[in-house]
Amino acid sequence: MRNVGLIAGAAAAVLVAAGAITYAVAEDGGSSASTPSAGSADAGFARDMAVHHQQAVEMSYIVRDRTKNEEVRRLAYDIAQTQANQRGMLLGWLDLWGLPKVSADPPMTWMGMGDMASGKDGSLMPGMATNTELKKLGTLSGKQAEVFYLQLMTDHHKGGIHMAEGCVAKCGVDVEKNLAQGMVDAQKSEIDLMADMLKERGAKARS
Amino acid sequence: MGSANKGTSAARKARIEEMRRAEQARERRNRILVIAASVVVVAGLVVGGVYVVKSQDSNSDTAASDSKTSGHFVTGTDGVKTWKGTLTRNHVTKTVHYPTEPPVGGDHNQVWMNCNGDVYTKALNNMNAVHSLEHGAVWVTYTSKAKKADVDALAAKVKKTPYTLMSLDDKQKNPIMLTAWAHQRTVTSASDPNVDKFFEAYVQGKQTPEPGAACTGGLAQ
Repeated sequence: MRNVGLIAGAAAAVLVAAGAITYAVAEDGGSSASTPSAGSADAGFARDMAVHHQQAVEMSYIVRDRTKNEEVRRLAYDIAQTQANQRGMLLGWLDLWGLPKVSADPPMTWMGMGDMASGKDGSLMPGMATNTELKKLGTLSGKQAEVFYLQLMTDHHKGGIHMAEGCVAKCGVDVEKNLAQGMVDAQKSEIDLMADMLKERGAKARS
Repeated sequence: MGSANKGTSAARKARIEEMRRAEQARERRNRILVIAASVVVVAGLVVGGVYVVKSQDSNSDTAASDSKTSGHFVTGTDGVKTWKGTLTRNHVTKTVHYPTEPPVGGDHNQVWMNCNGDVYTKALNNMNAVHSLEHGAVWVTYTSKAKKADVDALAAKVKKTPYTLMSLDDKQKNPIMLTAWAHQRTVTSASDPNVDKFFEAYVQGKQTPEPGAACTGGLAQ
């Protein structure tokens, strides 16, 4: 009988090891209970804000080529760096969750606003500039480019804040919710800064 | 048991002997069961381990990039053709002759084709488009034989989807084809559900050799 006990013990140990190995191997394919689904606010915000941010990055690169003004170039540098990094975090989370970067549903469906944007001419979500506007920014220079950039970015931030507030309200992943709240705070303060910069240039926000 | 029964000691011995035999048989049975179970578990571990090691091997195969592009397509049950072999990733200026049309990867021009939902009406230089695939883009291509309604619907979809691009390619075999780095498929129409599936799997998907790289700031037509 002692033999049987020994063998049974060994078998149990092997089973435990098998379980541990399976768990370790399955780490990136496994779906733990805390992984958001493709239709969740967490996934939707990560998908849509990554796209929204990308345009802010692009817009900032354009204006840096169109003006020598130190103040606007620094603001554009700050926005491009920040939003490119935040975009990387959002896409990285989708990778970790094993979720697609695109959805067949319209943008912002996750916050009940799938009908918000026309999606025409590249303006895929509220606040986003059209392709025509981006092209125009690329033809302006000096103060004209600065003013148009500040106006476009003010609109862009307003749309971004609205969407980030959607995640603050609906997201379930704390680290993502915190990032969204950080976006709301930072972009609100940048809107004030840009209002001052527009005023200095004898202009104001478009809306 | 120990009643008045005065069975002979021989009978008692026989009964004890029988009980011992039964006990031994039970033990043998148990031991065989445990050993069999252990063998199954160990065999499972070995097979699983070999599978894991093998799948990791094949992963590193596709990443190797020290020699020229070579290999062949393997068609999956989902209809997606996957390139098995090497796809090199050097920036070159000379013309590259790709083994497939449209190409699914390989050496390419240092300037990527803009793929921020860009729809091109003319054929592209494959060497620029391959660079877009490296950045995680899905490339929709069609021939003059494709129906106009399908082309229009696909163009509308591409325009709404960053990290995709679309162009005419009259050198390809089928009217509508979808391409990502190392992956390609044919679809029957714009409303073929495989379009959405391909986009979901490959727009900035796992196959992307250079995640995070841009689809703007490159070449436009």
